[in-house]
Amino acid sequence: MEIRLHGRGGQGGVTCAKILAAIYAREGKSVQTFGDYAGERSGAPVRAYTRVEDGRITNRNKVYRPDHLLVLDPTLLGDEVVTGLKPGGTLLINSPEPLETHRARFGAFRVAVVDATSIARAHGIGTRSVVIVNTTIAGAWAKVMNVPLDRVEEVYRDLGLLSNFPAARDAYESVRFDGAPRAADATAADAAAPPAELPKVEPLVEHRSSPPTPLKTGSWRTQTPVYTEHLAPCSAWCPAGNDAIGFVQALAREGEEQAAAVLGGTTPLAAVCGRVCPAPCMEGCNRAELDGAVNIRGIERWIADHVPVARRRPAACADSKRIAIVGSGPAGLSAAYQLALLGHAVTIFEGEDQLGGVLRTGIPTYRLPREVLDREIDAILALGVEARCGEFLSRERLAALAEEYDGLILATGLQKLRTLAVPGADLVGIEQGIRYLHRVNLEGGAPLSGEVFVLGGGNTAMDCARSALRSGADRVVVAYRRTRKEMPAIREEIEEAELEGIEIEELVAPVAFHGDGRVAEIEFAEVDLGEPDESGRRRPLISERTFRVPCDHVLLALGQSGDLSLLPEGWELAEDGRLVAPDRAPVAYAAGDLATGDGTVTHAIGSGRRAAGLLLRALGFEAEVFERPDRSKAVPVTDIRLDHFGRAAAAADRHLPVPERLNGFAEVNRGLADGLEAHRCFSCGHCTECDTCLVYCPEGIIRRRTERGYEVDYSYCKGCGICVTECPRSAMEMQSS
Amino acid sequence: MTVELLSANHAAARAAALAGRANRAGRGFGGGVYPITPQTECIELLCRQEFEKGEIVRVESEHSAMAVCMGVSLGGARAFTASSSNGLAYMAENVVSAALYRLPIVMMAVNRTLGPPWNIWVDHGDTLMLRDAGWIQFYCEDNQEVADTILLAYRLAEDARVLLPVMVCQDAFVLSHTMMLTDLPSQEEVDAFLPPLELPHAVGGKPVTVGGLDFPHETEVHRREHHEAMLRVPAVYGEIQDEFERRFGRRPADRVEAYRMDDAEAVFVSMGTTASTAKAVVDAARERGVKAGSLRVRMFRPFPEDLLATWLRGRERVAVLDRDLCPGLGGVLWSEVRGVCPGSLVQNYMLGLGGGDIRPEHLEQVLDDLLARAAAGEPRIVEVG
Amino acid sequence: MRSEPLLCGLAQSEDDRPEPVLRAGNTNCGGCGMSIALNMFSRAIGRRRVQMVIPACCGIVTAGAYPFSAYGAPVVASTFASAAAVASGLARVARMNGEPTRVVAWAGDGGTYDIGMATVSAAAERNEDVLFVCYDNEIYGNTGGQRSSATPAGATTTTTPRGKELEKKDIVGILAAHRVPYCATVSLAHPEDALRKFQYALDAPGFRFLHVLSPCPTGWKSEPAEGIELVRLAIRAGLFPVYEVFDGFRTVINVEPELSPTALERYFALQGRFRKNAVDLGRIQEMIERNWKHLRARARDA
Repeated sequence: MEIRLHGRGGQGGVTCAKILAAIYAREGKSVQTFGDYAGERSGAPVRAYTRVEDGRITNRNKVYRPDHLLVLDPTLLGDEVVTGLKPGGTLLINSPEPLETHRARFGAFRVAVVDATSIARAHGIGTRSVVIVNTTIAGAWAKVMNVPLDRVEEVYRDLGLLSNFPAARDAYESVRFDGAPRAADATAADAAAPPAELPKVEPLVEHRSSPPTPLKTGSWRTQTPVYTEHLAPCSAWCPAGNDAIGFVQALAREGEEQAAAVLGGTTPLAAVCGRVCPAPCMEGCNRAELDGAVNIRGIERWIADHVPVARRRPAACADSKRIAIVGSGPAGLSAAYQLALLGHAVTIFEGEDQLGGVLRTGIPTYRLPREVLDREIDAILALGVEARCGEFLSRERLAALAEEYDGLILATGLQKLRTLAVPGADLVGIEQGIRYLHRVNLEGGAPLSGEVFVLGGGNTAMDCARSALRSGADRVVVAYRRTRKEMPAIREEIEEAELEGIEIEELVAPVAFHGDGRVAEIEFAEVDLGEPDESGRRRPLISERTFRVPCDHVLLALGQSGDLSLLPEGWELAEDGRLVAPDRAPVAYAAGDLATGDGTVTHAIGSGRRAAGLLLRALGFEAEVFERPDRSKAVPVTDIRLDHFGRAAAAADRHLPVPERLNGFAEVNRGLADGLEAHRCFSCGHCTECDTCLVYCPEGIIRRRTERGYEVDYSYCKGCGICVTECPRSAMEMQSS
Repeated sequence: MTVELLSANHAAARAAALAGRANRAGRGFGGGVYPITPQTECIELLCRQEFEKGEIVRVESEHSAMAVCMGVSLGGARAFTASSSNGLAYMAENVVSAALYRLPIVMMAVNRTLGPPWNIWVDHGDTLMLRDAGWIQFYCEDNQEVADTILLAYRLAEDARVLLPVMVCQDAFVLSHTMMLTDLPSQEEVDAFLPPLELPHAVGGKPVTVGGLDFPHETEVHRREHHEAMLRVPAVYGEIQDEFERRFGRRPADRVEAYRMDDAEAVFVSMGTTASTAKAVVDAARERGVKAGSLRVRMFRPFPEDLLATWLRGRERVAVLDRDLCPGLGGVLWSEVRGVCPGSLVQNYMLGLGGGDIRPEHLEQVLDDLLARAAAGEPRIVEVG
Repeated sequence: MRSEPLLCGLAQSEDDRPEPVLRAGNTNCGGCGMSIALNMFSRAIGRRRVQMVIPACCGIVTAGAYPFSAYGAPVVASTFASAAAVASGLARVARMNGEPTRVVAWAGDGGTYDIGMATVSAAAERNEDVLFVCYDNEIYGNTGGQRSSATPAGATTTTTPRGKELEKKDIVGILAAHRVPYCATVSLAHPEDALRKFQYALDAPGFRFLHVLSPCPTGWKSEPAEGIELVRLAIRAGLFPVYEVFDGFRTVINVEPELSPTALERYFALQGRFRKNAVDLGRIQEMIERNWKHLRARARDA
């Protein structure tokens, strides 16, 4: 009996052949086993042989007409491999594919299949790219040839391979095969091929140049590197769906025009967001692990301050729809922008006299100068969007709009303010922060003096506190029931507030206001923190311990919620922001805080964009609907090769000196000095053509394409995976061949 | 042309320098050199030569000496080195390599006993150890022959039909340190005799890998080419003898030099300076009425089987005089000669091992022994002291 | 660009050779460090005319069989010990013919530290106009993984089944002691540094020596994809100092190591060759610190 094995250098084919020989030696047979030796290395196709006879073995040749064949690597499978195998002989294949697949192809033989690679890998034999399957597949062979398992174990013990026996046993148990062993059909086989004519050899002294080898080493490969774009965390984390990595890289590589165009694809409010966004993108930024997150918000602002982002012209639309948008906050504006770009006729209805919603009524000008807001709103209007301001819509009017227009988007924000149900809450001097900000922002200012207490810990609280300080307050205290670190306000806002002299009183809750007609004292209870609640923050427990402090003004910034009482009779907010009515099906969607309650400008922009898409779908268009990316799919920092990057501190925004700030409402944050910060971006998951793959490829077979990117010459790629491992930014991956 | 009193070491160095300078119109001359008694004087003199385009590299071992020669030769220049005895043994790997690369390197080898125990005197065992290395081997008989053979060795080695390295052997002290009048041609004459080397497989700027892997079939073919090149040597050598004679007025000896062989019945076969003594003994024997003759194997590789067969055909008795010993076999020369003359009584005598001074009386004893024999016996070591 | 690896044009450019020194279709194992080194070297060579001498080692077996070759440059396959000597011969011929050819000997640790030592030393002493590059995979890879004098302490090889006890030679120290014009270690994990050194060493006259730590996934029993990371770890741990020595004296440290025990631990953990034996990392850390003290003293004195 002659057995031939086909494997790759490093897989242990010779040892496998030896195991088979040892099995038969135990049965008292004469055996002989040997390998082919040549120059090829790990991964190259190699052969090994086992010969078994009852009597003395005199044949010292390689095996050309095997009775049986083992294929240790499925990628070797081909006609060449089975050359000479006698019909009826056993063909044992290491493959994850089912028996049937191989049977169909190699019907002339008795086929057996075992997934030795998976088994060996599970037992940790070898490395990721070179799994050593020899001891595993030998177990399968034993089963296929009716060798008892205990004999296999004895042989493994004899050969010092007992630690690999469990893998052999798994293979023994899992191998699938056809019928019983049968003798190979020797008669059909024996017409040994006539010796091939030997090729002509170039005379040594005439050898003046060596052509490249004909060896296509790509056949050694068991896994394949491919260029794959992966989700960058900044983009994944952006609630507006901005292509954060896209605009940062565009700025770094192509300039601000291109960067603005990228931004304009998803948002009309980049200069706004670049000022007021809490920048979740920066929370996700992998560079934080090295030397600080990239100042993505600063970059966004820098781009939008230099090149207006909303510059695209509306597309022509053959089937243009008339769409009403109620509310001109960021959600409404975002929806209007997207719809207008697609060529639809948009009308915005706004209760105030000017567009902007909370951007105008809520956010103080020292954070968002009105000329910045106006510029971006004007750009939206320039797309042909009609604005109707100064009318708060009644429920009836709303219902009528739904009739009048092809579609309706309701983006009225959070109109319902949380109040405080404690004694004295109606005293003069106690005011909703939102109303106070409205006065500050729209009514020519709201001067006050004395001691001001702001209750709450969100951005409204900070805006109130800092506005109050700018409006004449002698002392401003923000009182919050949890601690500073649990405050929902943007971190930077808290820091700036404190820098400006605002005090923060932690772990206090107002339990009463005292005063004679006008508030003069707040009574606070001390707060203890209990177990974490569903938000993960520790639950505040109001104690019996109280104290009083004098005060002149109290601003309530306790939170807001959507006011569904605005909806027409019988309308309801269904899943995904859809608005449903009992008797008819209006094409209407809620957007922004009304729909989601997320409470940031960036969320609202994303929500408006999504609502626009949903609306168009509902109108029968094949519209793209924005989906928030799955953050868990973003490139983790562990996939970034930090070693490739030099350390460089993040470029900080420039700020107005504190004394200059408090004189008025001048913009505090003056943004970045230049756009160089973009160069700090790792470009996670996105190829920057940095050439690292090319430089480290041991085969030198990665080349730059004429256009963008690279090409790998797969006919030579050995699949070592260095390009993927070394890619600084995880823009490649290995795939099973 | 000048006639000078020179040791064969110096004659070799001077000849090598002439040959080296002759390639100044080509890619120059070079070689690695390393001292070993009794060859040292050769490379010392070489290192005192001036070359317009030549570099003698003073290396750290014979192994590197030949390696430098290979580099020089692969670079397309003419290469020379010299060594002896254990130096050759140490060099052996690269001696083989030089031949397998098919490089026309010329090496002067002074035959010296291999040690230990250490012995600096003549014995052919060192170069005979390299008889299968694929080199052409000459064994010289006198100083003039050493000089002439160095010169013609380049012509032979560099012939496009040959392209093989040549080892020019001479006996330690008997030649190497013995001064005799030696006629050295002028540089112009040598220039005319040795045109610039054009090595077809020299390494230049083109991508070529020289000396990489051969699979069995490539090796079969390359070995056959090597063998065939060797087989072409006799004819090429014949042409060179003619040209040398035409240019320099003296004919280099044949591959096998015959002396009073016309009717010789008892023949000495030897190599190197032993042949001189053999000739004297032949003369003396002839005077006694013994029909003696002598054959000197001058070119040992390729083995001159044709000439030996011709000369030995019908000779009754042959004494093969080996200055070497292959323990367990006998003399190396004998082991090769004995198959050439099936009808003759061929007896092997090993004399002068370790540099013993082979005097005429020793060869007379040998002749007496040869003539007294009814049949050939075991190879005999004749101690000469 | 601060966010990009500082490749300094190491990648393809118009100055590239028409074909690489190491062609595709070579038989080196996947992930071979020597292949990476050859590719970087190839880019460093650019349009220079080179002749290479490669002794018996993986570096020549990779060329494949006659008449083909995976080398896109003229290469002489020399005997194991002889690279520096054959290169000397070629360099002399180039010089006497006034040619700008740069002759490069490209040898493994066996052909440098061990069998080639005398030859390398002699060529260095003669200040031959030769660039000698040692790709050090710390093992006799071509013969299947035996110890060499470059094998580090703790490594299992087929001839040190219980792990090698002795430390590897300080090869750059040895060569620097020859007072040659230039000696340097080359980090494959710092391509910009590698490029600079390759180019400097190609152009400088006299004997130049480069020592490249060259990962051998087969011999080191490591993931082929992690070769560069291993080099990086070796450098961070201080195991492989990246420095250069001019004229045997002026010593410049090119990459500051962290001397990080974590990197050292990881370097050992990623390689099967260290796994079979309990390697005393404390002892190795001491050795590293001792070596660095010595190296810093040299750098300071210079």
